[in-house]
Amino acid sequence: MSRIQLEGLTRRFGSVTAVDDIWLDVADGEFLVLLGPSGCGKSTLLRMIAGLLPPTGGRVLLDDTDITHTPPRQRDLAMVFQSYALYPHLSVARNIGFPLRARRLPKATAQAKIADVAAVLDLTELLDRKPKELSGGQRQRVALGRALVRDPGAFLMDEPLSNLDAKLRSSTRAEISALHQRLAATVVYVTHDQVEAMTMATRIVLLDKGKLEQVGTPEQVYDEPASTFVAGFLGSPPMNLVPASLAPADGRTRARGTDIDLLLPFATELPARPVVLGVRPEHLVLTTPEDAGIRGVVRAVENLGSEEVAHCLVGDDRLCLRGPRPLGLRAGDPVHLRAAPEHLHLFDPDSGRRLAWQPTPVATSA
Amino acid sequence: MTGELVEVTVDRPAAGTPAPAAKPPLWQRFLRGAPPYLYLTPAIVLLVVWTYRPLAQTFQLSFHSWNLLPTSPVTEVGFANYERLLDTPDLGAALWRTVVVILGMLPFTLVIPVLVGLLSRRVRGRVGAAYRAMVFAPMLVAPVAGAAVWQWLLDPTGGVVDKVIGSPINWLHEAGPAQIAIIVITGWHIVGFAVLVVSAGLTGINPDYSAAAEVDGASRAQVTRWITLPLLSPTMAFLVLMTVLLSAQWTFPLIDTLTQGGPVGATTNIYYLLWDYGFHSYDAGLGAAAGVLFFVGFVVLAAGLVLVSDRLSTHDD
Ligand SMILES: Nc1ncnc2c1ncn2[C@@H]1O[C@H](COP(=O)(O)OP(=O)(O)OP(=O)(O)O)[C@@H](O)[C@H]1O
Ligand SMILES: [Mg+2]
Repeated sequence: MSRIQLEGLTRRFGSVTAVDDIWLDVADGEFLVLLGPSGCGKSTLLRMIAGLLPPTGGRVLLDDTDITHTPPRQRDLAMVFQSYALYPHLSVARNIGFPLRARRLPKATAQAKIADVAAVLDLTELLDRKPKELSGGQRQRVALGRALVRDPGAFLMDEPLSNLDAKLRSSTRAEISALHQRLAATVVYVTHDQVEAMTMATRIVLLDKGKLEQVGTPEQVYDEPASTFVAGFLGSPPMNLVPASLAPADGRTRARGTDIDLLLPFATELPARPVVLGVRPEHLVLTTPEDAGIRGVVRAVENLGSEEVAHCLVGDDRLCLRGPRPLGLRAGDPVHLRAAPEHLHLFDPDSGRRLAWQPTPVATSA
Repeated sequence: MTGELVEVTVDRPAAGTPAPAAKPPLWQRFLRGAPPYLYLTPAIVLLVVWTYRPLAQTFQLSFHSWNLLPTSPVTEVGFANYERLLDTPDLGAALWRTVVVILGMLPFTLVIPVLVGLLSRRVRGRVGAAYRAMVFAPMLVAPVAGAAVWQWLLDPTGGVVDKVIGSPINWLHEAGPAQIAIIVITGWHIVGFAVLVVSAGLTGINPDYSAAAEVDGASRAQVTRWITLPLLSPTMAFLVLMTVLLSAQWTFPLIDTLTQGGPVGATTNIYYLLWDYGFHSYDAGLGAAAGVLFFVGFVVLAAGLVLVSDRLSTHDD
């Protein structure tokens, strides 16, 4: 089992900085999820950990040993490639068994392990097929099987479930989580699916344009997003972000914007300043016109099955409201909303960083 | 209130089979289908004029006796040409020498290119391009010009080759050495081309496969043996096919300029034999019969090899 440390890891392709000065400490047995939009450098980071791509700068440490220049085969890591990279000339069984063959495991032991993994991933029927005779999801499961057949120091998985249907995805997700608990293995897992990230991770790393935006438990990154990027990335629909300004009033502070006037949780008068106000769609509550902190007009209502999402126009900004179906709203209706003070988030309009309350003489700084 | 439970069904308009789909009229379908054949026409015309017509004429000529003089008569002789051909020991000997040439060429068209290709994979960028240009250069030298230079290098009195190996071998006039010289010079000519083919084949293999194999714990030798070479096998099959079908043709200009099939027929392979019958002995019928036999033989061989290489290349998507 292994602890992976990244120290200032950087990778440039020409003028593009794909991974920019990443510092991370992945504890032994941790399930770390790398989350971020397409092209933010997740795969590049994973390939550097695997040793397939030399970093431009920084170090990779495995159990406190510098492995930055150790070839991949000596790192004892298992990797699921985003492109699957199934050996096209080998059958499914031989693909899954490849790592065992490279380690010269006795045939009988290898066969038993392959059969086990195939059963778990529902591939038993397909063992004699060639990769090109498989569907995308089946290929992905073979790629996963090739990693799971081993007992490596750590698993590196690059979007291993992206091509599975919803049912198979949730069962395989549970399977990977169970495996993680059983083996107590270190896992670095890349995804851009938030549900995967929230349900599986012990910690989530959010990346944007190669830079680390936030590291934290699923609760931390969801409840206290460190930047407008994180706030706008997590949740579906993501957090509403609208420009506002702080206004002191009667010993409290309020956030005011066009058609917005909400009480903030701080029991003090903070000096006026511009901010970005954030509130999650599920924290907006319909209310009476007198009690409303936000006034707007409904533009569209989306049906999600169990819930509905109403898209509203407040001033010039779009706000989403999410609640149980039916919300009782129709396009064109005026809408009156309120939000509890503890559900409001403040961000700096320039840097985009979260503004947190610090109970010392000087307040507001991030 | 009364009622009953009914199953919810999927709506389907009317019972019965759907009406046949609308088809465009015949002339329109014809116009749409014609362009591919029109594009093919020039190529087919050229093939007929330059390949199939001569082939048919050769076939016809193989049943006649003629000495190539326009004034002399062409007489029909039935299968006599084929009988004469199969009776002479020349044919068997030439066939065997052709096999030797093909086997002798394989190191140059397969073994060396694959080794060089694998070893030079990591030479990239400008250095790699320069390196490939250097390897390819001999291909650009005209065979006859190359032959002239080699004749000089192989000269028994003061040629560089004999000086280097320090023994006076008369390369082009002793039976064994002459055959070796022909093979090596042809190989020198062709090896650059084969290296390029292998490099192209290696470039076509997705680097993720070897990356995955390395992560899976395979050593460099194992990656080569288990991943790279199997994925290169279609390229290698192509090179073997080229070697088998074309080796004897590649040697032809060198044989004609350096040994003229000698000494004592030691470098006469089937193509040279055919040419010898037709244009040295002026026995057009015999030459044509040999041509027809070799053509049929190579077609069968090529079909077999294509079948094998098809089986090899059923992978990589
Ligand atoms: N070999 C390369 N040469 C040049 N640029 C590259 C190369 N590989 C990646 N990049 C660039 O680096 C950035 C990060 O790429 P990367 O593949 O790590 O993204 P990703 O986060 O995995 O995206 P996705 O979710 O779409 O897989 C991208 O802008 C990409 O264009
Ligand atoms: Mg990726």
